[in-house]
Amino acid sequence: MTTLLEVAGLSKHFGGVYAVDACSFTAAEGEVTGLIGPNGAGKSTAIDLLSGFKMPDAGTVLFGGKAIQGKAPHRISRMGLIRTFQTPREWPALTVLENLILAPFHPRREMFWRSLRGPSKAEKERAAGELTRARAILEEFDLVGLRNERAGNLSGGQKRLVEFARIRMAEPRLVVLDEPMGGVNPVLGERMATAVLGFVSAGTSVVIVEHNLPFIERVTDQVVVMAEGKVIAEGPFDSLRSNQAVVDAYLGEMPSYDDADA
Amino acid sequence: MIDQLINDLTQTAIFAIMSLGLNVVWGWSGDFDLAFYGYVAIGAYMTLVLTIGPPLDPSSSYILAQKFPFPIAVLLGTLSAMVLGLVVGAIALRHLRGIYFSIVTLGAVYVLSTFASQFVPLFNGYPGLSGLVTPMADVLGIDYASYQYFYFGLCVVMLAIVVIGVTRLSSSRFGLALRTVREDERAAAVFGRDIYRLKLKAYVIGAGLGGFAGGLFAGFLTAFNTSAWSPLETVTLYAAILVGGRGSIRGVILGVGVMVLLLQEATRYLPEVPGHPDWTPAFRLILTGLVLVLFIRFRPQGILPERRMRDGKPPRRGGKTAEAVSEPQPVAGPALDTGVA
Amino acid sequence: MHQALLTLGFGLVAAAILALSALAFTLEYSVTNVANLSHGEILTVGAYCAYVVQQHGGGVALSGLAAAAGGGVLALAVHEGVVDRFVRRGIGGLPTFIATLGVSLIIQNVLVVIFGGGNVGYQVPQGAPHTIGPFLWNDTEIQIMVSAVVITALLYVIIQHTRFGKSLRAVSQNRSLASVSGINAHRVAALTWLLAGLIAGYAGFIYAESLGTLSPTFGFQYFLITLTAAVAGGLGRALGTLVGAVIVGIALEFFGGYLSASYNLAFAFAILSLVILVRPRGLFVGGRRSVFE
Repeated sequence: MTTLLEVAGLSKHFGGVYAVDACSFTAAEGEVTGLIGPNGAGKSTAIDLLSGFKMPDAGTVLFGGKAIQGKAPHRISRMGLIRTFQTPREWPALTVLENLILAPFHPRREMFWRSLRGPSKAEKERAAGELTRARAILEEFDLVGLRNERAGNLSGGQKRLVEFARIRMAEPRLVVLDEPMGGVNPVLGERMATAVLGFVSAGTSVVIVEHNLPFIERVTDQVVVMAEGKVIAEGPFDSLRSNQAVVDAYLGEMPSYDDADA
Repeated sequence: MIDQLINDLTQTAIFAIMSLGLNVVWGWSGDFDLAFYGYVAIGAYMTLVLTIGPPLDPSSSYILAQKFPFPIAVLLGTLSAMVLGLVVGAIALRHLRGIYFSIVTLGAVYVLSTFASQFVPLFNGYPGLSGLVTPMADVLGIDYASYQYFYFGLCVVMLAIVVIGVTRLSSSRFGLALRTVREDERAAAVFGRDIYRLKLKAYVIGAGLGGFAGGLFAGFLTAFNTSAWSPLETVTLYAAILVGGRGSIRGVILGVGVMVLLLQEATRYLPEVPGHPDWTPAFRLILTGLVLVLFIRFRPQGILPERRMRDGKPPRRGGKTAEAVSEPQPVAGPALDTGVA
Repeated sequence: MHQALLTLGFGLVAAAILALSALAFTLEYSVTNVANLSHGEILTVGAYCAYVVQQHGGGVALSGLAAAAGGGVLALAVHEGVVDRFVRRGIGGLPTFIATLGVSLIIQNVLVVIFGGGNVGYQVPQGAPHTIGPFLWNDTEIQIMVSAVVITALLYVIIQHTRFGKSLRAVSQNRSLASVSGINAHRVAALTWLLAGLIAGYAGFIYAESLGTLSPTFGFQYFLITLTAAVAGGLGRALGTLVGAVIVGIALEFFGGYLSASYNLAFAFAILSLVILVRPRGLFVGGRRSVFE
């Protein structure tokens, strides 16, 4: 397994409080890495730091061997790291299909002068190919009937699926999912798990922050446990159950298995 | 009667170009820019100052006085507006959104109008510039009687070119990328869009169209000064966009037509009250304000809302080769009744 | 040095007017989260009410009361007729902000129809200048400053020490939470706008007194300066707004006195842009806001 993401000594403080404190962990290519911990452990801040939405005070983030800490979100995205947010962030007035088609970023095709000249033959072919691919992905997510619907009109669970479909469309090297089960009907759990595993088979590695531990157990290869801004344990989910530090951090939440609230 | 109609239609064409420029900024990119009329004014002033030459009265003087041909002056006016837009946009779009952006642009247009009316060496201060009568008439050999038809034709052709350009942009990847920024900036950034650069590009394009329309407006009015443009003029353009449909090109053109006709017709039959020359323009502005408030409240998406791509054919399960032959292009279908404002 | 102190004296008068206008704007913003672009018109309408009373032989006190009443009625009408309706229907802050611009346009031009578009004189006997310490103020200026201080003090007492003030603070912090805990948020917001209108109407009156003239657009032009003060103090923060108004008022007086009064607006904008760009949450709150953070 090659390391895809390597976080070392990452720190961020607000006022005097360290939200993330010398946090270090790795995520391997082709794997699903879980990032768990009690509320306030610094997971969301850590995601913001490695995706460029917040500036780290210290530390490095290597993505595919290149340093990305402190870069702007769109630069990190262009290198192949895409994240989601705790609430789905669809483009509400655009249709579901448009949401998918606009997920891949093509700098040359989005240039002003090229756009002003009107679509070339090659551009039309690319657009047609894109449309086919978008339809196929929507079919996989059972969203094809909603493709002309404005994304803002969908239910919370459907928006989440659109977001997943959008990531499939963009084909990043790594996707960081921030509480994908939050606000989703638990009935959809199995479907979401399939979707997460689907990323890996499509060539996208996954880092996932989630409170729902059965879900984490189901989908992850490795788990990183954070508490109070620090990484306190790392390893396969099963190995953590007996880890005293983890159990202490969760104050006995760990074995109960029904902590699904976000 | 017919002269009045041609007059109204010429004005409609010029305002349509302005509104299409503002639509790039507000309709596509989502920024409520209150400085927009400043770009129209710069375009108009530059066109005048570059065509009418030095002042007849030797006691006043202003910079840049030239006697360039009209088209070159309009072009330079457009470029000046774009440069100004680049400066204002680069500052205001860096960190500001929502009302903070609007407040800064409102301030910017106030500074522009203050300088234009107080600082005489620039565009002759309060009296402004005048004397651009029938541009290009002598070169093309057009007599005075038919000139207004020529100028109407010129404006319509320019509008047509602008419409072709913005229509291409609207459905292009560039235009759609702007929509992603308008709809959700974070998501746009997550999917690789440099939101600052995109917004700035849209802003400069809008400013350029504003300046271009301003140049044509100068040729239409033959003169320009600060009493011809209060920063509130921008509100009339916003009303037109809102009436037609924010983001939608045919909507914007319809909205401008409706606003110009409404404002002209609704006040045409008002009796001229002696001693109250302010009344007709005041009634027009009251009407504009009412239209703005009522549309935001009751029909924020406008009469012809922005159209979305519509994928008509059901997906096929066949192989790729079969699909490549008869792949349907995205077809624009009837508009959905959901607001975008 | 003497000249500087005199300018400071005039700056304090300007600051007194600005403080009332900016405080009223901040009150409106705090309970509805809508930046009211028709705020300037409340001042204008107040000033015209005072003007009408004066034309009919009313004294200064009656003019001031009329101005406050006119401003209060207008602010309440704008709140009930537009802002509250829009906010309650879920029309966002920005569209409502645009709608208030439409309201501003309507009011300005109704005033043009009634009173004409030009300037009208508003002369009050200014009285002899008094030397107070290093400053030189006439009766009107003293009236402006004393009344502004009294109104500000009253406002402080209302906000800090009455039940209504407590509700107001609750609504401005979190409207839906306040509603849940049994506060009639709509009533509190309406009363706050009424209060803001009374203050802004009176501010229009003293602004007209100090200018000696008024026109349908005079409040709108003053609005940019008001915004500068309110944003400098942090939108929606009363105490910050007060300090912001004093600083901006004095700074403008010095700029006008030593450089050029015609470019006052440009100078106000320079302050405003600088504040918004460098400290968008106001001068007195730490931290820089970026698009994402």
